[in-house]
Amino acid sequence: MNNALGDEQRDALQELMNISMGQAANSLARLIEAKITLSIPKISSVTPSEFVAMLSSEGMWHTRQSFLGSVKGEVVSLQSRLGCEAIAELMEYQLPLSDTTREELLLELSNILAGACLSGFAEQLALTAKLSMPTVFDPEKLSPDHYRWANTLSMEVEFKIESSQFDSKIVICLEEDSISTLLNRLNSLLE
Amino acid sequence: MTTQSVLENLTAKLPLGVCVLNDQMEVLYWNDFFADRLNISSDDVKGQNLLTLFPNEAKYLKKKINSVFVLNNASFSYWEHRPHVFLFSSSRPITGEETLMYQNIEFLPLDVTDNKVKTVCMIVQDVTELASYYQGQKELSEQLSQEHNALQELNRKLEEAQNQLLQADKMAAIGQLAAGVAHEINNPIGFINSNLQSLEDYAVKLLKLVNFYEKVVHKTQNKTFIALQKDMQERMKYQFIREDMPELVAESIDGINRVSEIVKSLKAFSHVDSSEWQYADIVEGIESTLKIANNELKYNVEIHREYQQQLPKLFCQPMQLNQVFLNLIVNGAQAIVDKGHIYITVSATDNDYQVAIKDTGCGISKSAMNKIFEPFYTTKPVGQGTGLGLSLSYSIVQKHKGNLVVTSEPNVGTTFTVILPILTPEQLLPEASAPA
Repeated sequence: MNNALGDEQRDALQELMNISMGQAANSLARLIEAKITLSIPKISSVTPSEFVAMLSSEGMWHTRQSFLGSVKGEVVSLQSRLGCEAIAELMEYQLPLSDTTREELLLELSNILAGACLSGFAEQLALTAKLSMPTVFDPEKLSPDHYRWANTLSMEVEFKIESSQFDSKIVICLEEDSISTLLNRLNSLLE
Repeated sequence: MTTQSVLENLTAKLPLGVCVLNDQMEVLYWNDFFADRLNISSDDVKGQNLLTLFPNEAKYLKKKINSVFVLNNASFSYWEHRPHVFLFSSSRPITGEETLMYQNIEFLPLDVTDNKVKTVCMIVQDVTELASYYQGQKELSEQLSQEHNALQELNRKLEEAQNQLLQADKMAAIGQLAAGVAHEINNPIGFINSNLQSLEDYAVKLLKLVNFYEKVVHKTQNKTFIALQKDMQERMKYQFIREDMPELVAESIDGINRVSEIVKSLKAFSHVDSSEWQYADIVEGIESTLKIANNELKYNVEIHREYQQQLPKLFCQPMQLNQVFLNLIVNGAQAIVDKGHIYITVSATDNDYQVAIKDTGCGISKSAMNKIFEPFYTTKPVGQGTGLGLSLSYSIVQKHKGNLVVTSEPNVGTTFTVILPILTPEQLLPEASAPA
């Protein structure tokens, strides 16, 4: 089984991601009635230590949620601590945020973004994936030495809300077995 | 059984709350979980608005459910954030401590046509058990960490106390050693002293004798004898010896007197636990204390004395009071960083004695001020302070029914004032008879 991603496949995947991310941004924009900008999706194969390094960024909150279906994996979100209050206001939370309401906000936001990204992506490739409840986690406690996988396919995109300094990154990570499922779908699309 | 009835039977028995809503927030179906708790059957509730059924949480429910309709994406509610969206009573009414059910809720898009959500399914999960377990764990871990901190603090204190005890032990050992050495030195000092006295006497006599011989030789008018005598005196440097010898002897006597003074003071101080009550001269005590402390003082401290004339004798434990003065003077000297002054003022009224010891040292910080009389409290580096000096002084002064007052200003200096009431033996020692 070859899990390597060719250039052609990468381009196709990027294009697909671009469309689904656009939908995600659209969803969020409709909900909070604010303009949102998107980065170009970044698609890469990462090792456990690269994965942990990718998440260890200062000043961010982290959430994760798993998905199950014809493809399996986890969605990790990074959300900037800066600008949290502004987005809380847009989403009609009571200010100032307590620890509890801030966590609630983070989980709701990441769920919206992850749900939109994943469903757009799965729909276009005719795959199914159902998300579970997101939870907050601390990347400091991750230890790459204990991972049972060697490579994951990560699809990363960044959302920025123009009116505030809020910044959010959604990373969809596919399980090793699911990568070949994805590649098969991509190949049949490309043929 | 038809599939429909199997499903109906199943949802009725699910340990989850299931409720289906249309986009008007009207209930289309709910299972027994809701029906049993609210006493409204699924048939009766059909068409009723969820928000009017639960007015208290209407705002939150509306927001959550709306987002599912708009985004076609599941939404979640957590017990950590919203423990009791539906005010259902606890699933453990008898044994549980909780009164309300803790819930996780999922809001799922159910019927979706053309990417448009027609109905939303709400699934309520009873997580009371889990929540109370987590809360118990959290409390436990908080308690543990508190206890851990307390233990660490205790450990630190113990270590400190142990260090200080070791230090105190060391000091006591040094004191004993000093007493022993002082005793041993006393004997040779005794005979050196008396020998020196005799030597002084002999030297005077010898010089007189030589003088006499000189005169006798001159009287003979014998040039040979006179020349011989002159030659011999020059060879022996007699002129110099004659002048130097009395000085040498006098200096030695002065030196040995100083040595015996120091030994005497050392002996007195090694008997600090001797607590004899007697009438004593306070100034004398201070002077002998200064001699002891001289080593600490001579390089960087200038002592200024101001003693009132004709001070009365005080009935006290002189050795103990000397210990107090020593502590205060040495503390003052140690507070002086480079060079400084210590002013010692002794005065008395009809009622009490006042001994003020003022230094130009670093002062005592406000935070340290209320701890300085605590046993084992010290700000000095290891080896310099036992943390016992001031507490000991305080208790000694208390025994004299007196008071130890401190005023201090950081970087300016500190003044310790010992106030001792002038009392009769009967007033100080009511249970014991006056000393002989």
